[in-house]
Amino acid sequence: MYLAEVNAWDIVKKQYQYKLQSYMGVFTSLIVIQIIAILFSFNGTGMSGGGSSTFSYSLNYYSGSMILIFTMIWGLITAIIITSKAYRYDDYSFITNRGTTHTSNLLFLLSASIFAGITVLLCTHFIQVLYIYSVNSESVMFEQLTIIQNLKGISGTILYIFFFTSIGYFIGSLIQISRLFIFVLPVLFFGAVIADGLGKEQSMIPHVIKFFGNESSFGLFILKILAASALMYGFAIIISKKLEVRP
Amino acid sequence: MILNSNSITPIYMQIAEWLETEIINETITSDEKIYSQYQLAEMFNINPATAAKGINILADENVLYKKRGLGMFVATDAREIILKKRKSTKLHDMVHELVKEAIQLQVSKEELVNMIQQMHVKIKGEEQ
Amino acid sequence: MKVVECKDLTKVYGRSNALNNLSFSIEENKITGLIGRNGAGKTTLLKIMAGFLHHSSGEIKVFEETPFNNLKVSANSIFIDNEMSFPPALSLKELLITAGSFYPYWDQKLADRLFDYFSFNPNIRHGNLSKGMKSTFNMIVGLAARCPLTIFDEPTSGMDSGVRKDFYRAVLKDYLAHPRSIILSSHLVEEVEDLLEDILLIKEGEKCLHMPVEDLKEYAVGISGKTAIVDEVLSGKDIIFEQSIGTDSTYVVIKKDGSQKELEKAEESGLELTAVSIDNLCLYLTSKTTGGIDHVFS
Repeated sequence: MYLAEVNAWDIVKKQYQYKLQSYMGVFTSLIVIQIIAILFSFNGTGMSGGGSSTFSYSLNYYSGSMILIFTMIWGLITAIIITSKAYRYDDYSFITNRGTTHTSNLLFLLSASIFAGITVLLCTHFIQVLYIYSVNSESVMFEQLTIIQNLKGISGTILYIFFFTSIGYFIGSLIQISRLFIFVLPVLFFGAVIADGLGKEQSMIPHVIKFFGNESSFGLFILKILAASALMYGFAIIISKKLEVRP
Repeated sequence: MILNSNSITPIYMQIAEWLETEIINETITSDEKIYSQYQLAEMFNINPATAAKGINILADENVLYKKRGLGMFVATDAREIILKKRKSTKLHDMVHELVKEAIQLQVSKEELVNMIQQMHVKIKGEEQ
Repeated sequence: MKVVECKDLTKVYGRSNALNNLSFSIEENKITGLIGRNGAGKTTLLKIMAGFLHHSSGEIKVFEETPFNNLKVSANSIFIDNEMSFPPALSLKELLITAGSFYPYWDQKLADRLFDYFSFNPNIRHGNLSKGMKSTFNMIVGLAARCPLTIFDEPTSGMDSGVRKDFYRAVLKDYLAHPRSIILSSHLVEEVEDLLEDILLIKEGEKCLHMPVEDLKEYAVGISGKTAIVDEVLSGKDIIFEQSIGTDSTYVVIKKDGSQKELEKAEESGLELTAVSIDNLCLYLTSKTTGGIDHVFS
């Protein structure tokens, strides 16, 4: 009897290809969500106005942040879906073990995050173009960004989305351990938000946002996000170690 | 031939008997190579191990002999061995059954012999 | 080399044992039938072999390794049942190509030929197939993968009798050309017995017996006749099955213990000896009482 020797990395590459092909729906949903986000952004994210007897003005702020938020939520949900039974069992119809499944999932979610990050940037530009055509162009002002700033922006976007996929992956894995988490997690989350709001000064949520969002050093920001993502994926891998297939 | 899975006779015995019949009918003659276990498995839709067991029975009875690396061959006196065996076992058993049945039905010895003789004449006659 | 080796294998679900101290080993390049009633633990055992499930205690080795979470075992074995799941985004043809990219011994030509023979539509999705067609497609994957350990769990469920026959013939032909270890579970022994070399019979998670099919045919003997005479012969015998016929006759199945003389004597005293088919023998051996369903109504 000749047993085939297999290389784990080889299987990961095959699974990655298999997933790119079979998870096409993930990208379709991304496009739909970004189109919806564009429609929302069209109303502007902020408005101020004023005037006197001789003139009045109104000021509308438009930004792509709505698109980013939508896309981050998409990343979260996509990652949760990928940890679900239906997706997990698909792997076990062919060669796999937990290590290769997690690695190929991570690679897939990273690729999806990169793709999503790029489309977020494109959508933002798309909104600008839409305004130029829909509003008198002289009254539109853009923030001018250098190439470096642009690159930082796009990698930051990708990292944010990736971070959210890692959270989703962790949440999804928890749910696979026990269905109870479907109820426990939202209760914990909203409970924490409400408890936070009851106190004199809000602490938790703004702190978390500050920790990641207000980091002025780009290098440190990357480090923080990657470390947090690694932690999430690490936990997910550890807790799903004993998961059985089609029990 | 289609094997009878429900028969009392095990499949490997049926295989052995089928091979014997092939030899008696001289479909396969002395010193000719016999079917391999894989060919038999394929022909009769059975596991090759079962087919091998059938072949081994005949090898044990010296109906077949083994040539190293070439497979199983029909022995020179294979036909005689089979005929002798069938006479002493199969025919013997059948007669045993026949006589038992005759006694149960209270058929006398003379009557039975008579019946056998008549049948013999009839079948011989039909064959000619 | 042993392909599968189990020692005191136990699997606990909640408070009951799906498998209970199961010990056996399967040698390479044999077709083994895993036979048992519904709920005997066949699927659990096979899923543990395939590395899908943990075992609770004892030991299991597949290719001398513990199968759970083992890439080597996964690459050299395949588990086929009718609950295999495939991504809905891929067509049947794409699934076959994907399977081919994974399995090192995959035979694309065989896969394509079987695919055409069973007239599959290459563009259809796996989820849209009927139960029987699903089983047939999964069987194609299982055969074409040519894994050194191929596991079929109730492979013919939903297939019509024509496809069943084709399936068993296909397994045999491919096995003859490419010998490998095949384990086939079924509760219909009659259908598979000619194909098998060994039978592993389990009952309520425990091993009932494990022996060549041909030996099993001579494992037991059926005796029928007047109850009084039958009872005489039965003293000290291992009774497997017992049924009364009419008012004063009995049919019993006993384990043969080599004393041919005793049996001949029984025959002379007017009892009728018959062979017991493997199908019936397996049923008798795995039934809860020796009297069968009749005991419920008596």
